[in-house]
Amino acid sequence: MKTAATSLAEQIRHIKEAKKFDIRSGALPTWCPGCGYFGIHQGLNACIQELGLAHHEVVTVSGIGCAGRYPFFTSNYGLHTVHGRTLPVAQGVKLANPDLTVYAVGGDGDGLAIGGGHFPHAARRNVNINYLMFDNSIYGLTKGQPSPSSPVGMKSKASPFGTLDKPLNATLMALTYGASFVARLFAGDPKGITEALIEGTQHEGFAFFHIYSTCLTFDKAYKTWAHLKQWVHPIPEDHDPADLRRAFDLVLGDDFSTGIIYRRE
Amino acid sequence: MTARHVVIIGNGPAANEAAISLRTQAPDARITIISKEPIRYYKPHLLPDLIAGKVSEQDLYVNPLEFYKENDIRLRLGQEVVHVSFATNEVVMEHKEVVRFDGLIIATGGKPRIPEPLQVFEDLMLSLKTLSDAKVWKERLRWVDSVLIVGGDLTSLSFTKAVLSLGKKVYFILHGDSFWPVRFNEELSSEVSQRLSDRGVEVISCRKILRLVMASEDSVEVETDGRKLRVGAIGAFFGLVPDVKFLARSGLAIERGIVVDEFLRTRFEGVYAAGDCAQVYHPKLRDYWVSIGYRNARNLGRVAALNLLGGQESAETAPAGIFQLDDISVNTSWWTEF
Amino acid sequence: MPKVDITVEVCGMAGDGTIAAGGLVNEAMSLGGFSVLGFDSYPAEIRGFGRCVTRSRIGSNEIGALADETHILISLDDLQSRSRVPFLARDSAVLFDSKPDTLLEEEQSLAAVVEPGTALFGIPFTYLATAATGTSRGRNLAALGGFAALFGVQPEWFRRVITRKFQSKGEKVLEVNLKSFDAGFHYALEKFADRLRPSFAAANVVAGPEKVMLSGNQAIGQAALDAGLKLYFGYPITPATPIMEFLAKYLPAKGGRVVQMEDEIASVGAVLGAFYAGARAMTATSGPGFALMTELITHGVMAEIPAVILNAQRGGPSTGLPTKTEQSDLHAAVFGGPGDSSRIVIAPSNVAECYSFTVQSFQLAEKYQTPVIVLTDFYLDNRVENVVMPVASEKEKTDGNLYPDESLQGSYHRYLDTESGVSPRSLPGMEGFAYVATGLEHTERAQPDYTPEIHTKMTGKRHRKLQYALEDLPVPVEYSDGGQLDVGIIGWGSTFGSIQEAVNMARERGWKVAALKITSIFPYHEKEIRSFMTKCREILITELNYEGQLANLIGHLHRKEVVRLNQVTGVPFSPSAIFSKIEALLQAGVS
Ligand SMILES: Cc1cc2nc3c(=O)[nH]c(=O)nc-3n(C[C@H](O)[C@H](O)[C@H](O)COP(=O)(O)OP(=O)(O)OC[C@H]3O[C@@H](n4cnc5c(N)ncnc54)[C@H](O)[C@@H]3O)c2cc1C
Ligand SMILES: Cc1ncc(C[n+]2csc(CCOP(=O)(O)OP(=O)(O)O)c2C)c(N)n1
Ligand code: SF4
Ligand SMILES: [Mg+2]
Repeated sequence: MKTAATSLAEQIRHIKEAKKFDIRSGALPTWCPGCGYFGIHQGLNACIQELGLAHHEVVTVSGIGCAGRYPFFTSNYGLHTVHGRTLPVAQGVKLANPDLTVYAVGGDGDGLAIGGGHFPHAARRNVNINYLMFDNSIYGLTKGQPSPSSPVGMKSKASPFGTLDKPLNATLMALTYGASFVARLFAGDPKGITEALIEGTQHEGFAFFHIYSTCLTFDKAYKTWAHLKQWVHPIPEDHDPADLRRAFDLVLGDDFSTGIIYRRE
Repeated sequence: MTARHVVIIGNGPAANEAAISLRTQAPDARITIISKEPIRYYKPHLLPDLIAGKVSEQDLYVNPLEFYKENDIRLRLGQEVVHVSFATNEVVMEHKEVVRFDGLIIATGGKPRIPEPLQVFEDLMLSLKTLSDAKVWKERLRWVDSVLIVGGDLTSLSFTKAVLSLGKKVYFILHGDSFWPVRFNEELSSEVSQRLSDRGVEVISCRKILRLVMASEDSVEVETDGRKLRVGAIGAFFGLVPDVKFLARSGLAIERGIVVDEFLRTRFEGVYAAGDCAQVYHPKLRDYWVSIGYRNARNLGRVAALNLLGGQESAETAPAGIFQLDDISVNTSWWTEF
Repeated sequence: MPKVDITVEVCGMAGDGTIAAGGLVNEAMSLGGFSVLGFDSYPAEIRGFGRCVTRSRIGSNEIGALADETHILISLDDLQSRSRVPFLARDSAVLFDSKPDTLLEEEQSLAAVVEPGTALFGIPFTYLATAATGTSRGRNLAALGGFAALFGVQPEWFRRVITRKFQSKGEKVLEVNLKSFDAGFHYALEKFADRLRPSFAAANVVAGPEKVMLSGNQAIGQAALDAGLKLYFGYPITPATPIMEFLAKYLPAKGGRVVQMEDEIASVGAVLGAFYAGARAMTATSGPGFALMTELITHGVMAEIPAVILNAQRGGPSTGLPTKTEQSDLHAAVFGGPGDSSRIVIAPSNVAECYSFTVQSFQLAEKYQTPVIVLTDFYLDNRVENVVMPVASEKEKTDGNLYPDESLQGSYHRYLDTESGVSPRSLPGMEGFAYVATGLEHTERAQPDYTPEIHTKMTGKRHRKLQYALEDLPVPVEYSDGGQLDVGIIGWGSTFGSIQEAVNMARERGWKVAALKITSIFPYHEKEIRSFMTKCREILITELNYEGQLANLIGHLHRKEVVRLNQVTGVPFSPSAIFSKIEALLQAGVS
């Protein structure tokens, strides 16, 4: 992954030339240069491309936040909803027309705080949608307040003396909620994202993708690129995603292993 | 005695007089009137006039319903008492409700009586005691033009007047056993016959009614030991017997009525009887008498109420009002009007 | 022909078959050609554990409201029925079980408390049923037999509806019920031969086309089915829940699905998602749930996504009075939410309109690409009326969507600023028409844009649509004889029945009074409302809320201050309350 040092113009050129990105809309992502979300974008685009999905048969549904902007940067059908309501709307779309491939995308605030109530129900309802949680452990769009996945003690303008609340573990939650497909991924590894998305998209049922990302604009100390790159590692080779107990063991023992953690047919 | 809940069974003159006396004397008492008739207190003596069309139904009623409300007297109409338990001071209603009382006044009046030999024909005869009976008569008299009256009690005479006034033909079989609780003697019988004939009634003399047959929807065939005739309707007028059957197994002493002393007390504490249903001891006569008539009933009702509240009023009346027929003393406040 | 207007109540304990008996009264009288309006109260809704009450107003003429008083009380339980005594009319009749299984105390007895002017008919329901069938189960039917005999109802009507109801439960059950009914019928006919009150027979009503008993909620559910509903999303809340339950039973057979969501936000979110993808969907809720939906409703307005949302109003703010009726969500329905976000709000006033308005709401939502809110209330949802079974026409059922022209492929302006404000809408799956529906202010091409020009233009476009929608919205209904009027009453929703009746009472006295029913709350038909107002000296706006929410909305159309009549008792207006207000207004006008 190129760092933020690459000029924006260069990136644009790169994007435009790279044919495989033609799934992008004419609108360029308005994310900050170097934002982790570019990697997710890239990963998802590649997945759609590789699966040969027609743009007009893909709907990306999003909430509000930097992550929520995602639909504007694709040429799929998009539904940019309100803060936290990604999942219910996405389920409505899918139930209305099962021929569509539906990606629900949103931030950690969107999915764990304001929309936290929808998460367990989407999981147990098991409607065949794909939910990508862009987890940068911060409220990006509103300029850096702590989110439900921020580490304890995180200092920000809204928490000058550090936060007190324990972070939520979205992967663990998804397992607990009974999601039938759970993957933990890293925005710095678009290839890994694509691979997991390809499997997850083909999975019949609710597929959850917990994607660690960074907000380099507002988080200079915690989930930075440097830290994440250091922490993140692939899950052990011998991990059997069909085994729920092992999935729990894995997640309870380690916050940063990435790959497909659980899959139930 | 401070009566907490006084129940009055009956809604005739005796009952109503009792209720209002109670209310006046005991403003705090809870008073309940229970009556099996579904209508409010009316004057039975106007029933013949109603049949004759001289008065309307409205004229019969004594108090408006508001009267009871204003006087805080609970009026339970169309509800029949079927048993009283004096061991527990409870009245049991036909609809299986139990009402507790601290004081009880029984004023159930009388009910039409049909002598034993005639009871087989009961279905073919009409009587006249209640407003409902009167309405049946009224309806029947629209269709028929002749009526046979058997019996000969006080009511029969005013009823006869009413039927005659409607231009109907009246036959009359004067029955010796009719003026309960007394028997007609020769003298009385011929006096009555004479009066009836004078008014255009055809008095049939016979010993026995042999047969009654429904001849058509509105005619009955009558066969006596001397004669056969066809009439539109037959009325049975053999006086009233006290309506006290529901007390048969209650432990109350009942002979020709509920036996009470001169203060109208029964043998149970706080339980009184008044009106047509009572058989009252007369200390001077050293005998019992039965009451007949509207005014008597009211007076007895008042006396029962006062005594229930601790009074000591005697129900005795001038012995002149009491006359002896056979071996029964009758006191009628009605006789004079006849 | 004497006019009949009789209210019958059945009251009992849960388990007495009260609701079933009340239902049969409704069905039988409907079969006989009477107009019937019924309302049931279940244990949760009234004080007293386990008490059930059904009320049926039965008339030879059309009926729009419940009456204040009850004329016939059929009691299946003495203790429970005691609470109904205060509602009995002066010359009422009470039928009760005169031979219950156990002795009753005076404190439990119904006979102990009925007014002496009330005719008591003791009928041994339990005994008769048991004697006739060997089981007391049919005692409620024995009671109905007594009712039929006493009041001149043809037993055949009952026998038919009993057969209809119990046929499917097997020969034996049907027989028990029919025999119990007959036992009660013959007993009462004989026992009370001299006290019969054959009021219904005297009305000589002739049965017209067959009618069905439908509650407001059933009519709504049926309408949604007939309109081709594909998805229902909801969260349980009184009084809207029966709609979800109705659809859960019938929608799957039609290829649709009912999804119970985690809350009302999710429900309306899913509805928007479904409509966005081209399917007819709906949700139904009540005040508290509606409040939660607000943000997404405005999202539907902004992103121009259709939705059908039914708000079955109950009483008060917050949890309020869950089982009472009120019309206090009008402000919330029309204006609730951020921004200039008014949307289409329609309010049926009777069961027939519950059906037709619901059918129409889908087309309106699609055609004008905005949420349509159907406002009902507890009373309207739960009351039953006999109506000729409504059928939606093919025209009413057709898709209201306006799709983009093929030629625009690739250069599609999702939010094209047309004259009417309505822009062709593509559905996911249409090639060359992908766009992002967004709640951010956006350009015609659906790009986020916060410039003054765009926001001004697009706000105008969204509101213009509503004015165009007027031509498709249900028009106000005038209830008048024409001519100049002293008092004109304006009302909406379930209260209109009471208003109509009050107007009738006033007219009988020769007063110049009329009423106007507002069925489209927003946008409203300004011209029609004004023309009614012009004819009236005084305008009285009558509604079940404290703030006068309709008056606040349309009162300014009158040349002078409108008079308001508001009630927040949780129960419907009694026609006499409205009548008294008319009287007061007229008197004030004279002096
Ligand atoms: C046709 C007719 C004409 C008459 N004309 C005259 C006349 O001209 N002058 C005159 O003085 N008298 C006349 N009388 C007699 C007079 O009416 C009676 O003497 C008087 O009514 C007796 O009053 P009471 O209160 O004792 O009983 P009633 O008036 O007989 O009242 C008895 C009450 O008890 C109730 N009752 C009985 N049993 C029960 C029960 N188990 N549970 C609940 N309630 C019960 C009845 O419903 C009734 O309300 C006439 C009577 C009749 C029938
Ligand atoms: C109902 C509501 N509350 C608050 C906001 C303001 N808001 C917008 S985005 C956001 C948080 C975004 O954080 P997250 O979901 O983690 O997304 P990110 O920007 O980090 O991608 C908030 C609080 C809003 N739009 N709507
Ligand atoms: S604010 Fe943070 S999350 Fe949002 S775009 Fe910029 S870097 Fe990414
Ligand atoms: Mg975030």
